[in-house]
Amino acid sequence: MLAVEGLTVAYGGLKALSQVSLAVGDGQFVTIVGPNGAGKTTLFKAISGTVPTEAGRIRYEERDLLAMPAAERAHLGIAHVPEGRQVFASMTVLENLEMGAYPAAGRRQWARNLERVMALFPVLAERRDQLAGTLSGGEQQMLAIGRGLASAPRLLMLDEPSMGLAPAVADLIFERIGELHREDRLTILLVEQRVAEAVQSCDFGYVLETGRVVLTGSSEALLKDDRIRTVYLGM
Amino acid sequence: MFAETFLEALAAGLFLGCIYGLMCVGLGLIFGVMRVINFAQGDFLMLGMYFNLYVVSVWGLLAFLGPAAAPFVGAILAGPALFVGGYLLHRLLIARVSGTSVSGSEDEGRSAQLILTLGVALALENGALILFGSTPQSARTTLALRAWEIPLLYDPTAAVFINKASVVACVLSLVIASALYFLINRSRLGKTLRAAADNPAAATYMGIDVDRAHRIAFGIGTGVTAVAGGLVATYHPFQPYVGLDYVIIMYAGVVMGGMGSILGAFWGGLTIGLVQQLSTLVLPTQLQNAAIFAVFLLVVLMRPQGLFGRAAERI
Amino acid sequence: MAGRGGLLFPLAAIAIMALGWLALGLAVGNSYYQLMMTLVPIWAVLGLSWNLLSGYTGLVSFGHASFFGLGAYTVTILLVRFDLTPWFGIPLAMLVGVAAALVIGYPTFRLRGHYFALAMLAYPLALLYVFEWLGYQEVPLPMKREAPAWYMQFNDYHVYMALAVGLLVAALLISLAVERSRFGRSLLAIKQNEPAAEAAGIDTLKWKMRAITLSGAVAAAAGGLYAVVLLVVTPDSVFGVLTSAQALVVTLFGGTGTLWGPVIGAVILIPLSETLQAELGNVIPGIQGVVYGIAIILVILLAPEGIFWRVRDWLHLARGAPGAADRSAAAAPRAVVPVSAERQTSPNILLEVSGLSKSFGGLRALDGIAFQVEEGAILGIIGPNGAGKTTLFNLLNGFLKPNGGDVVFAGQTLVGLKPNRICRLGVGRTFQVVRAFQRMSVLENVVVGAYVRAATEDEAFEIAREAVARVGLSPRLEALASALSNKELRLMELARALAGRPRLLLMDEPLAGLAAAEVEEMLAAVRALPSSGTTVVIIEHTMRAMMRLAERFVVLNHGRVLAVGGPREVTADAGVVEAYLGSKWTALHARG
Repeated sequence: MLAVEGLTVAYGGLKALSQVSLAVGDGQFVTIVGPNGAGKTTLFKAISGTVPTEAGRIRYEERDLLAMPAAERAHLGIAHVPEGRQVFASMTVLENLEMGAYPAAGRRQWARNLERVMALFPVLAERRDQLAGTLSGGEQQMLAIGRGLASAPRLLMLDEPSMGLAPAVADLIFERIGELHREDRLTILLVEQRVAEAVQSCDFGYVLETGRVVLTGSSEALLKDDRIRTVYLGM
Repeated sequence: MFAETFLEALAAGLFLGCIYGLMCVGLGLIFGVMRVINFAQGDFLMLGMYFNLYVVSVWGLLAFLGPAAAPFVGAILAGPALFVGGYLLHRLLIARVSGTSVSGSEDEGRSAQLILTLGVALALENGALILFGSTPQSARTTLALRAWEIPLLYDPTAAVFINKASVVACVLSLVIASALYFLINRSRLGKTLRAAADNPAAATYMGIDVDRAHRIAFGIGTGVTAVAGGLVATYHPFQPYVGLDYVIIMYAGVVMGGMGSILGAFWGGLTIGLVQQLSTLVLPTQLQNAAIFAVFLLVVLMRPQGLFGRAAERI
Repeated sequence: MAGRGGLLFPLAAIAIMALGWLALGLAVGNSYYQLMMTLVPIWAVLGLSWNLLSGYTGLVSFGHASFFGLGAYTVTILLVRFDLTPWFGIPLAMLVGVAAALVIGYPTFRLRGHYFALAMLAYPLALLYVFEWLGYQEVPLPMKREAPAWYMQFNDYHVYMALAVGLLVAALLISLAVERSRFGRSLLAIKQNEPAAEAAGIDTLKWKMRAITLSGAVAAAAGGLYAVVLLVVTPDSVFGVLTSAQALVVTLFGGTGTLWGPVIGAVILIPLSETLQAELGNVIPGIQGVVYGIAIILVILLAPEGIFWRVRDWLHLARGAPGAADRSAAAAPRAVVPVSAERQTSPNILLEVSGLSKSFGGLRALDGIAFQVEEGAILGIIGPNGAGKTTLFNLLNGFLKPNGGDVVFAGQTLVGLKPNRICRLGVGRTFQVVRAFQRMSVLENVVVGAYVRAATEDEAFEIAREAVARVGLSPRLEALASALSNKELRLMELARALAGRPRLLLMDEPLAGLAAAEVEEMLAAVRALPSSGTTVVIIEHTMRAMMRLAERFVVLNHGRVLAVGGPREVTADAGVVEAYLGSKWTALHARG
């Protein structure tokens, strides 16, 4: 479904990503883990078109994504739930979800998607008329995911959904993500710092360190691999 | 006697304040919501006035509506005309110093916007001078010469006179400001514009063409201010440099009302209208504008988030 | 800005320009052109005055007409009412300018960005209406036929021109003195990054107040002379928006942040607009404004920092860009120059943090943080994203005030002190995002950090050189910051912090964005710090490198201290592993 080949991204002389390749198959749950500064967010931004790329290709359902303006990519069924949530703080919860449903597909299935989002995160239903900026961190993350889902995506990209959240809340979010994969058969690309939670539920994982892919493998293989610990903790 | 002057000043302040409110709503969309500094906003107001003048008096296109109504329709038509003007200005010039092209730069392009639009303002007002001449003109409606006489209940000998044109202009301002309020807050287009201003990156992830949204918002902002200009023109004379007087009033109103709020901008403009007119009761007429600036400075220094703003913000 | 570089060139340039202008003026017989040649220097002075405040600090003033107009009216009223000659009137006008600057500056400097610009705009407009109301709509200066020279009135326009050029020379010399001293560099540091300047020990409010008072005095002098030359003052002509705009337009057109900008701008724009007005004004009124407006638009689009910088950059390119060629000649860390080698042998607690808490709104960002730093140590502060690390630094160096707890540095509490005070006491800081003066050399960039320890310019440059040597960047001393690699920028930032001779240095992610080999060089530079008297507290995400750098760690998670200890202890700590790798990781690996 999504294929990244030899992707290189550089900002002002320093390479954020070098020669990164990865593939996400239809219906797969793929995880990218790695410590801070590994280039995970940059990879997502390159897929969404908000950073310029230097070399490589990104193909999505046989289309060349790099040839498309950033705003058109969402209309192909790619939902990007960005790092740090980035909800529209001055708009209500419901308005945020409506904005998520901006692409035509999202508008067509609005009622169904809204119901699904509210079922996944009932707290959003309670707060539907509250300004997003006044929500707690966990609620904002739920809203950001809900906003992504409202576009009726075929590929859901999640960037560090657990960032800054209390463990219990993070667990809840991971649970819901797993549910989306299992029950809704959604294709998911997840970037995470918290390795175990992220790797455990995935089909396939990549470990990124300073802009390169250093390890790949299935969920079970990666979980057993103690090299991940070295990548994170240095020893 | 004092009661009459007070009531007349109050009424004048309210009616004028509504039109100020409408102008401020236009600027509020550009400066308050999108955070783009447009110093040429007053000149779009001026162009709205001349648009009205030409459509109604010079070309007589609306003569069939009669001398009372035509100027008001002309004022409203200035909206779409200067929507196009603002849209094009943004596309050609403003986009280069705002929005996605400068995000992340040190001051987000603000000084460039200030200077660039100062250049636009100079070119527009002097261009208008070349085209229209310096003689004050007006697109006056015949209603401007009529007034309602409202007797005071407690004193049958006293009455308050209220200019009919200013009442109609005020009502139209209220209608248009409310329509814009609903457009921005309730319609899909309005929500898209707000999303693009609130978080451009996230809006892009939603599939919103952020640059286009900014152009449209800018066009709506200039169009709305132009309508307010057209309404002022129905009972006030004007000349090409009139924009300078109003641009300060508009910025004062938007900042007083609290950045980012359409409703706040309206209240800000209304407050300025009231301060301006009521100050004549205690201050000499020449000082009414000084009073506006004094109030503006006090508000900015004491409550930078604006009188009606909620978020404490000082950027 | 050729560094400390010789004053000879600028002084000669000022002299040549002044004499050339006067010579040209003598050759011109037409009184209209003479008037124009008098007005150009006056507007250039107003531009220089604007540049002193807004060009160097980056705070755009849209209200310089306040000072200009007060100057003009002071001179006029003193002459009309009290028969006082402008020879005394202009100096008094400058005092009025200073007083106005104090009254305006104190409240308005609380505002930033466009709020500052808009508030400044309101002052001259309010004054405009006040002067109209006072009955000064149009005040002619009375002709003094009995003693014209005493009243600064001359039949020969060349004398006015000489006065205007004299004022311009004075304003240029003032600007030059500012630009080449800690005054100017402190203002530039504020423009670049006000919090960082404050953290480098610069009392930002004090310097901004000095800038606005100086600027107000210069603008008032220009206004005073303007009144004398034109012999009539109206509120519109001296307080109007166009007067404020003139100050900013000539400067932005010519170039901001350099003394030549306003001069270039005035020399090109004023004659252009006046000539247009004179030649075509009757036929096409307003053509002046249209051309002026279009000129401004073109400059902003084509040379946004003004003509001076555009030409200068272009000349630099034509000469063959320096820096690009020697980029590869990066320096390896050099032998370290010990600064204050009075190291105690017994461990001595330099910094003690106890019960430190901070909330934002309802959110507890930090909760009861406590740890100690021994003198001469390298302490690492680690923790996942959002753990509160940068907030902790902001509390330590005074950007934020804690809700509770105490920070004691060398026996003194830091809570409640302003960042520049804390820097003076010996706490330095580097930032995640390095912002440099692109067009200045490494040495000039670093010297900003040295003022806090230096009494004179020479001493400051000496300290700065020493600091550059300490990080091994000496071979690049004269390179422009724009030619530096990412690693060299980081080292320069380190040198700038070291130039304040801190006993304690707080480093925020110094390794971010560096390649593996560059990390090694940076590590070497940091490791050398304690031996020369600087204790280091460092936030870093790149754990691998940190494990080889720091002897002790404080691990933060969710705003609390999770663990304290050496590298082995913290990486073995179950809580730490859980914070980084997730709770399930520990569970799985405990089993396996």
